[in-house]
Amino acid sequence: MAATLSLSGSPGLDPSSSSDQSVSSRSNNRSLRVAEKERKKNEAEDPFVLALKYFSDVEAGTPVHGNDEVEKNMVMVEKVAYMKGLSPEAISIMLEFAMSLRMGTTLCARVLKCLIPATVVPQEAVVRAVVWLGIGKIPISTRILFIKWVLTVFDMIDAKDQLRAIYGFIFSYVTEENLFPFICHLLYLLTRKESVRVFRVRKLLELQSRLGRQPFLLSLLSLYKVFCPELVTLSISSRIKSGFRNHNMPWKSALIAVQKRNGSQVATSISLASAIKTNPRKRKHCHLELPVLSSVVSKEAQTDPSSSRKVVPLVQLHSFAHILENMHRIELPAQMGSLLGSSLALQYLDCVQDESALLRLNFWLGHALHEEFLFCGDGGASQNSEEALQFLNTLLSTQHFLQEGFSCSEAFLYKFLSVWDGSLLRPQILGLLSNIPVVPSSQIRRLLFEPLMQLFFTSSLFFKCGLMECLNNMLLKWLTWHSVYALEDDLDISLNSHTSINMTLSRFKDSVMELVDFVGQLASLSLQLEGCHSLLLSFILDFYETVCDTFLKYGLPLVVMPTPGVFYPALFATDPVSVDRLAYIMYRYKVNLTSAKSQEKLTEQAFHISRQTFREFNHYAVVMVNCLWNSNMFQPDMGVQLGEELLLKSNVPQYWTSFDLIHHPAFMSYAVDFHQRCWPERKDMDLNSIKHSKPWSWYLEYLFSQGYDGLKQFVQSNISRPLTAAGGHVDRQDDGHVDRQDNGHVDGQGDRQDNGQDDGLSTLQR
Amino acid sequence: NFNTVSSIKVGVCVCVCVCVCVTSSATRTPLNNVGVQRRSKSYRLSYRSCLGTAASRLGLTPALTARRLNTSRRALKPHGVAEKVDPEQLALLVKTEWQLSYVTPLHQFRHTQLKSYSRRLAAFIAAGKQQGLAVAVENPQTTFRVSFSLVEGMTESADDAETVLIQIHARPSFAGQDEPQRPAWSGWLTCVNGNPDYLRSLPKDFTCLPLFGSSGAEGLGALVKSWFQQSFDCCFGPLEVSHTSLQWLMALWTNCHTEASIQHLKMIWTLPAVPPLEVTYTVNPEDAWELWRSVRKQKENRGGGGEEEENCIDIEEVADFVQGLKSHFYRHFRLDLSAGSLNQVSTALGSAKHSGRMKISNSRYMTTTLTLLTESALLKMPI
Repeated sequence: MAATLSLSGSPGLDPSSSSDQSVSSRSNNRSLRVAEKERKKNEAEDPFVLALKYFSDVEAGTPVHGNDEVEKNMVMVEKVAYMKGLSPEAISIMLEFAMSLRMGTTLCARVLKCLIPATVVPQEAVVRAVVWLGIGKIPISTRILFIKWVLTVFDMIDAKDQLRAIYGFIFSYVTEENLFPFICHLLYLLTRKESVRVFRVRKLLELQSRLGRQPFLLSLLSLYKVFCPELVTLSISSRIKSGFRNHNMPWKSALIAVQKRNGSQVATSISLASAIKTNPRKRKHCHLELPVLSSVVSKEAQTDPSSSRKVVPLVQLHSFAHILENMHRIELPAQMGSLLGSSLALQYLDCVQDESALLRLNFWLGHALHEEFLFCGDGGASQNSEEALQFLNTLLSTQHFLQEGFSCSEAFLYKFLSVWDGSLLRPQILGLLSNIPVVPSSQIRRLLFEPLMQLFFTSSLFFKCGLMECLNNMLLKWLTWHSVYALEDDLDISLNSHTSINMTLSRFKDSVMELVDFVGQLASLSLQLEGCHSLLLSFILDFYETVCDTFLKYGLPLVVMPTPGVFYPALFATDPVSVDRLAYIMYRYKVNLTSAKSQEKLTEQAFHISRQTFREFNHYAVVMVNCLWNSNMFQPDMGVQLGEELLLKSNVPQYWTSFDLIHHPAFMSYAVDFHQRCWPERKDMDLNSIKHSKPWSWYLEYLFSQGYDGLKQFVQSNISRPLTAAGGHVDRQDDGHVDRQDNGHVDGQGDRQDNGQDDGLSTLQR
Repeated sequence: NFNTVSSIKVGVCVCVCVCVCVTSSATRTPLNNVGVQRRSKSYRLSYRSCLGTAASRLGLTPALTARRLNTSRRALKPHGVAEKVDPEQLALLVKTEWQLSYVTPLHQFRHTQLKSYSRRLAAFIAAGKQQGLAVAVENPQTTFRVSFSLVEGMTESADDAETVLIQIHARPSFAGQDEPQRPAWSGWLTCVNGNPDYLRSLPKDFTCLPLFGSSGAEGLGALVKSWFQQSFDCCFGPLEVSHTSLQWLMALWTNCHTEASIQHLKMIWTLPAVPPLEVTYTVNPEDAWELWRSVRKQKENRGGGGEEEENCIDIEEVADFVQGLKSHFYRHFRLDLSAGSLNQVSTALGSAKHSGRMKISNSRYMTTTLTLLTESALLKMPI
């Protein structure tokens, strides 16, 4: 019993799997035995098992009041019952305990209320309990409660034969007036033709004359009449409605919750079906419920009886190995929507390429999304957002599982974006959005950008960050998709060379370009709006970390530089992390561009990166080096220009140095710290003294040791600075102004021309 | 709060041709693009097959093209339904008020298997009805009789699937064996002049019958729907008759007046006042026709030209017609109906309500109405 209990209780301690293993490999026998022992020990200590043991062994007459033990065990059982439901054995034990009144009547009702079956209810337990009904002195309210419980779980009772066998016994309770309606209902469920006897009909008619035409009695009588019209001469209106009310109230919600949690292995009972029917609001939104995985009513058998092909419905498959074995003869379920709930089924769907199967799934899914979020006039989506949330989460996890978005969710999103308020189910909607496949560049603006732009500028900072992340994910997916399928296509080209791969590739590039440009616009404007918020900046830099590596990581011959609206805020950010990330991004750009250039030379015509891109990169690189390294801000050709007078007016001494690695607001604290460590005895701080050749290289080492790898890579790749050489290389004057040549060389000739001086930058040219 | 609705009932004679400013030209937009975006697993396809065809494929995607109702439609078919369809079946379709729904394409539906569908649906209904009885009360075949039948001749184009009529006869639950079965529910699935692009884009094992009408016991209707859902993996959703569709119907019905009297043109408008104001606006058929003729004439004057054009009605004409009716109302009651919404229209040829209830009273003009409704149903398709 203990073993089966744990089976239904905790899947983590699955005894079947461990026993399988012990058969297959004897070498591990010892460790397995230890594990088995451990498991048994755990089980013995499982408070739930202990609680059940307590209730099965407790002696009659044990006092309830002040008995902490019974209280503790009772709470334990209740907790498990409402969480997972009780296993058949647990139901037997608890029912027996309650109905035998071993600890009085108060506990009896309490136990009955928590008898939520996890799977089925053993018939024997119910029969025993009915017998107790006749023996014990159970108060009438508890008796009613019991019958109501039987009615509620009637469909979950594993067999009905023994119950039918005691039909007469149950029938004898009709004389108890309070029980009468419920007994009638139970009898109605149990009645078969042979149960209809003259004396029973007579008894019922007698009751009817005494109690009047009660609907429950009429219903039972009409059923009798259906079986034996000759015995029941009473005329019963054919318009009679079902006279039985739902008695499932105490258990309904708990039962639904438990079944939902357990994935409802048990077919939904009448009580649940009727419960849904009685609630019109529930019914209205039932399109979000996944259909039950069920097999097709064998059409093959009807259309083609000669076919000997055996098909295996998906419902019957329970493991991946099982799927593999039956791969060739799996039958899709009747309703494709049911696949969403089962990862096994999705695995199968992933393998087969059944166009109509996918289309069916798309129709169902699209219908559910449209009905729930678009066609509902009364804002129904917000009413049951819990259900909607679950549905979208299921959809998202399915899409992640398949690593692809459904076309219906794409179609839905285009419509939904224009009516979305930006906050309803935001994480889910953004998640779906990031899954949409590549949109042609001609449509992308109207379908995506326009609605998103409106939402973006009218929403909070967090929405902006969320959207940035979403667009980054979208780009990542597009690029990944490209990197996987571009390779496949290489094979295709040899087969039919006349196809225009360039055409499609350029279309893809156009879409990516559009997306990157769009994010650039959003980013620069939103950074202004939000005062260069560092959280937002971080999400934006995430995006550019993807963008800068398109060529090397994803094999897409496209390099797009960030807009100045992103570059400068990142360069002048007050937090060192942003500057470091920018440096890393610039480093990756350089690596990508260099590699693209060398590849271009090799293959001659591979692709063409515009001169403009190189120019932009060079420009940014020069600005960055000038700023951080050469203390040479505000050069006339920089993107940021300020009038000479204005700078003088600001009274900032040596303004040109204010964004070098020492004076940059992000790094100043490091410079101060470094200064203190380097010259602990110095009273007056002179940060400029770090600029001398030796301390400068120490300072850099110090910075790099703080984890600024991006900065390190940027410096190492862009600035040639032979440390071994004499200190005179970095010709720094005392005022910190580095006497560098002007930047004219960047546009000069030669592929990679170093500066006349050694601390030059290696820039790329075209 | 129905009793708070104040109602104005007016019978108005539109005796003058109401002049309506007409600005737009008579150009008609071509049939809009309605299509299914079908997608197999894109990651199974090669790079090119996905992106290369992307342009054309996506071009047809309803999501990418704003789908609208046709802006122009043929007014009358040269040959009516009455000659092609079995009159007995036709009699079942007309004069009943149907509750409309849209249906996504049916998977593996075979017009040749209607007999077996009848049996299976009967069993399904019996099972559904007996849910909770735990015992088989009676042979279901004797309680419910379901018949699927083909309504031939309803189709207008080669792409349309044949209409299917479903009837359920039932004997009241506890009635005697000899009591006759009575019709308890009926419904049909149809497709008249469905958008050929959309229909052709569906794979072979799908049958598109997007328009579903049901009438009778609601419980039975729900069972039929769920049987269809389980058997053909389709989805049902409510189909409202939109404001524009109602206006179209008004114009189309009025257009028939010379051949079959519309007897009256009745509209029910709801105005957003406190308390809500419901306006019942009934127009004398002659006056409605007169107004319609004047609207049509304007178009001719504009140079519609050609036999072909003769039979076509443009959305501008419909708008002019409705605008004419509204201006007339305004002149008399100083109440601009544009502020409200049209809820219901009816003539002797049929009636339609915004909630999706529709009645066709004259089989001759059925095709036009069903074409419009098929179009609305196709607009509701999720993909």
